Amino acid sequence: MTPFRAMRRGYEARFEPVERIVLARVARDVADMLREEAGLDLFDDGDDPGPSTHPGPGKGQAWANGLLAPDELTDADLARLTGVTGVGRIPTDPAARRLLPDASKNDSEMAAEFRRLTQNDVAQGKVDRLEAFAALLDLPTGDDAPSPLGRHGAPPPVRVPREDAEQFAGALTDVRLVIAERLGLKSDDQVMQLTDEIMWDRQAGREIPVATDGRAARRFWSGVFVAAGYAQETLMDVMLAELRGRRPPGAV
Amino acid sequence: MGSAGTAVEEDTDADLASGVADPWVTIVWNDPVNLMSYVTYVFESYFGYPRVKAERLMTQVHKNGRAVVSSGGRERMEVDVQAMHGFGLWATLQESGARGAA
Repeated sequence: MTPFRAMRRGYEARFEPVERIVLARVARDVADMLREEAGLDLFDDGDDPGPSTHPGPGKGQAWANGLLAPDELTDADLARLTGVTGVGRIPTDPAARRLLPDASKNDSEMAAEFRRLTQNDVAQGKVDRLEAFAALLDLPTGDDAPSPLGRHGAPPPVRVPREDAEQFAGALTDVRLVIAERLGLKSDDQVMQLTDEIMWDRQAGREIPVATDGRAARRFWSGVFVAAGYAQETLMDVMLAELRGRRPPGAV
Repeated sequence: MGSAGTAVEEDTDADLASGVADPWVTIVWNDPVNLMSYVTYVFESYFGYPRVKAERLMTQVHKNGRAVVSSGGRERMEVDVQAMHGFGLWATLQESGARGAA
């Protein structure tokens, strides 16, 4: 991956094909997780998400067939089965709770009220931009697609149009927050140490191992976390420079 | 501070947290994941804060664990908190005089 640079048609960086595939995949996984945790699917098939909405197929159906134990049910499953709209439910997944956090530390009533009012919109916004992020990273396919190596043998760059850059950076944030939660990264020191390890491995030319066991999986996701951070850091460099460049002189 | 060179009105967090005119505040909390440059970008682009103020607030979040980033009426603060959550920052709102603000 190369740093993002400001070009005429947007911000451009070169990603390895595997980086594009993995980041697109994890973004879609995060979108699916959010959709499930926030119960967004309830609003997909009509204007009235009320009790008359029939429970759709999927995990709810599996549960009805006895394939999924009741204690494995998520809130979204329950909502589907009971017809409860589930607006503003507290996500059960810690990573989803980080993306949709409490709006008050010590007033649970206020936090619940805030969820009721805003959670669907925030979650839907994140899902939309994660999917747009993944679509932008998807490698061109089909007969009319340019060669994966592009002209001069180099892979085509990832080009983020300026008007989409904030959404792209936001999706990178959500991806990084979820991976960090899964990796149990709780402190600045842990993140710094992990970043150093990954960069050291890179410099030493060690490849990211295929995830065949827990340790390799951890190493793999650490590499994805650091790569997403590198993309975001270099994107922020060029976005901040342009934002500040638009300010009138004298404003610091 | 009426001198001609003062382009930006100075306000401190003490002012914000105890502001009489602004009964509610938005607080952003530190997390180990969000990049300092991203947090600064959010403060500059969303709030329109000048670079110096945005960087000072970002440093406060990073070093002190939290910072008051805006103040005003409750509804306005709800909008700000929702926007921060959209950006992936953890923000809370509270009454400015409430314990735990500082």
